[in-house]
Amino acid sequence: MIPIPLQPRPILLFDDECGVCRRIARWVQRSARLESGQSSIIVRPIGGDPDALRSLNPDLDIWTAYATIHLLMPDGSMKLGGEAIAEVLRSLHSTKWFAWSFAIAIFGFRPFQMLLNLAYAILADVRPVFGCESCGTPSPWVKPIHWMFHWRRVGASATPHFTSLSTGRRPS
Amino acid sequence: MTVETLESPRRSAPPGGSTERIQTVTSSTFELLVLQGVGPIAVEFMSYGCAHCRLIEPVLQHVAEVLRAKEKVFRVNVAVEQELAVTYGIQGTPTLIMFLNGRETGRVDGPRPTESSVFTALTQPFQG
Repeated sequence: MIPIPLQPRPILLFDDECGVCRRIARWVQRSARLESGQSSIIVRPIGGDPDALRSLNPDLDIWTAYATIHLLMPDGSMKLGGEAIAEVLRSLHSTKWFAWSFAIAIFGFRPFQMLLNLAYAILADVRPVFGCESCGTPSPWVKPIHWMFHWRRVGASATPHFTSLSTGRRPS
Repeated sequence: MTVETLESPRRSAPPGGSTERIQTVTSSTFELLVLQGVGPIAVEFMSYGCAHCRLIEPVLQHVAEVLRAKEKVFRVNVAVEQELAVTYGIQGTPTLIMFLNGRETGRVDGPRPTESSVFTALTQPFQG
């Protein structure tokens, strides 16, 4: 069995190819700064090295890391999606006053956590509209809005199953 | 060449680690494995952060398995290997480039994430 390296603080992984994710990560990084100058959360881009990610947690797969937000906990567990966001909000000084509500359970249901999960799912869906070229084909309900934004930017001729590279050019 | 299985694209998360059929090549191994390689070779220029690459990954893994005896399939991570991406004029991901005995014989930008599309993209340049 491979030992899981223990981290003193949670690590938030973010998609560094997505503008929305970068902005949120910057906000978390600022908010997580403690008076001592340290940070309550380590904010780290996912990057492009599957082995480097597996060194953080052997169960961490780079494809799923890009598909859903991951928070690596100091005890070796992982929180995903809305659960990860709730944990981040609980760790931040400015948001922990309301983040306790995500743990409230009524008859086995956690209504505020369910709302947060829904909000995360919507945010993940609308990311392409707010500048996430790497997020791929938007969900059907976002497509009309995305198409209008995309058409205004690059026209209607783009290949649908393709993520453009800003640095790519044909060889001379 | 015959298609052994053609099915609708699987939406499950692509497999990682030991189940991978596609070897990653870098700028230091590209020359040896691709340009000096013998026979048909396909190279996927991809990025792990690209959602289209994520969609096509399980399909490509399966097609690579089907073609294992006839064609080698490699991948280049353009987020790391930017020089290779510029050299081959990669304008986006995923881009499939087919090589025969080290020479480019075809390329497909953004193939549909279906087994028939990927199979055709990987085999058509070597037919005829």
